[in-house]
Amino acid sequence: MEAYLVAIAIVALIYVLLALGLTLQYGFTGLINFGHVGFFAIGAYTSAILAMSGVPLVLSFAAGTIVAGLAAWPIGLIALRLRDDYFAIVTLGFSETVRLVITSEKWLTNGVQGIPAIPRMFASISVGSLASFAVLAVLLVVTIIAVLGMGRIVKSPFGRIIEAIRDNEDAVKALGKDPARFKVQVLILGSGLAGLAGAFYAHYITYIVPDQFIPLVTFYVWMAIIIGGVGRVSGAVVGTVLLMVLLEGSRFIRDVMPFISDVEMASVRLGVIGLLLILFTIYRPQGLMGDFTRR
Amino acid sequence: MSLVYARHIALFYAQLIVNGLVQGLIVGLAALAVTLVFGVARFANAATGDTMTFGAYAALIGQKATGSLVVAGGAAVGATALLSLTVYALVFRKLAGRSVVALLVTSIGVGFLLRAALGIIFGHNQQLFTVPLVRPIRFNGLIINPFDLQLAAVAAVALVGVFLVLYATPIGRRMRAVADNRELALVSGIRPERVMIALWMLVGAVTGVAGMMLGMKTVVSPELGWEMLLPAFAAAILGGIGSPAGAVIAGLLLGVVQELSTPFVGFTYKLSISFVVLLLVLLVRPRGLFGRLEGVR
Repeated sequence: MEAYLVAIAIVALIYVLLALGLTLQYGFTGLINFGHVGFFAIGAYTSAILAMSGVPLVLSFAAGTIVAGLAAWPIGLIALRLRDDYFAIVTLGFSETVRLVITSEKWLTNGVQGIPAIPRMFASISVGSLASFAVLAVLLVVTIIAVLGMGRIVKSPFGRIIEAIRDNEDAVKALGKDPARFKVQVLILGSGLAGLAGAFYAHYITYIVPDQFIPLVTFYVWMAIIIGGVGRVSGAVVGTVLLMVLLEGSRFIRDVMPFISDVEMASVRLGVIGLLLILFTIYRPQGLMGDFTRR
Repeated sequence: MSLVYARHIALFYAQLIVNGLVQGLIVGLAALAVTLVFGVARFANAATGDTMTFGAYAALIGQKATGSLVVAGGAAVGATALLSLTVYALVFRKLAGRSVVALLVTSIGVGFLLRAALGIIFGHNQQLFTVPLVRPIRFNGLIINPFDLQLAAVAAVALVGVFLVLYATPIGRRMRAVADNRELALVSGIRPERVMIALWMLVGAVTGVAGMMLGMKTVVSPELGWEMLLPAFAAAILGGIGSPAGAVIAGLLLGVVQELSTPFVGFTYKLSISFVVLLLVLLVRPRGLFGRLEGVR
């Protein structure tokens, strides 16, 4: 039970990192990133591939973060010219293309077979549960740093500008600020965070395949921030906790009702995500933790 | 020798173009549905793909029940139009006046819900339409499947139908008026509710046909239509958002380009062709081939 709780907490924190990245991009800047999972995948694969070839974990984690952030750069350059919904479609296309690349380029990623036996964090600690606790502790520290960092960013002049971009881009332009530059920076930051989440994921699960990086993951994160409340750091955290309850809860339902097959449960989960996206957007757009002044 | 070789190469590409045209008709129909919603209701409907899947299943049931492909087509058109109208009434109508994001995210939700429902009801096994085997037609070395010709005919009929509704009926004129200038259309006495009802039924019917065609060309599974979403968006944007004719022409182009690209980039990257086309269009000519600048904003 204890090991199970630690495992859930680790996965939840990985999702919190993803949600924080998206909160920065969508919640604060208004960038509709439908390709978040693409950067998560880039982080996971970069770090895993480097670590497999003997690079120390700290460096491969850093590389995963940086490569994912840099991958957002060209997307950001395109974002300068696009209106909201085009940007959403482009990013969705990007994440699907990332998945096609990792599926097809077998020499690098081992294709659909995926990469097994990725080095663990704290492999030197032989006691399994202790190693998990160490991973949890590191993740917790990283998440707290990310949350505090986000808090500072949001309150800084930079934060005021990106919120202004979200609320009225033309006004920002009129003040002589270039919204495009800020959008690119926000994209790189958020995607880097997703890349870091990916690195943690790869080295915790120790086995990655392209199927783990389907668009549904992006919309898990979207659901989390929409339920929690868009544009709120606390919303990202609360939403992720509820997401975990949903994902893990469905596992318990399967334990109690084993006649429901795995694929059926996957469909049910998909349906619940869909329903929540619809209901929350219609009836509670500000989310659970949301700002009631905005709609 | 070189002449024979040249003819061989030419035939190879001609064959790819023929295959691409059929694929392109499906992309074009899907793009037509996307562009109509975008033009009139003003948002990118991400549920289009999964609505196509619904159409494919409706057609499958129609065929299983009666054995007739004509009945199957009727079932696809009727059921999907009804579904589309229901989704409008229950969901999108409530979001009138809200941000593009709200509509976009909700349409993703609708798509997921549809796909989940189809998965639970029909399971995840791949299902096939029973199509009679026919001898392919050979035309100067080119192999044409008569079945493809039938599909092309169905698509042509659907397209003519849509364009007749749009350009030869009063409700079509109102639809175009709303697409053109919403405020002006409203002050000139057009009732948006009626236009929306007609729009969603028309879009549903087109989507149903596209779904059935896709299902007949491949296999029917709950994930069928989702894969089509990106090419549909790409074609709608390439054609110029809000331009029905543009969507169809761009769909055909995209279908052909996708097929022609396979010898170079391989089968798996076919889907990313639409992504690349999308990027290029947005960078070079964001209003698309036939769109007006006004239509983009």
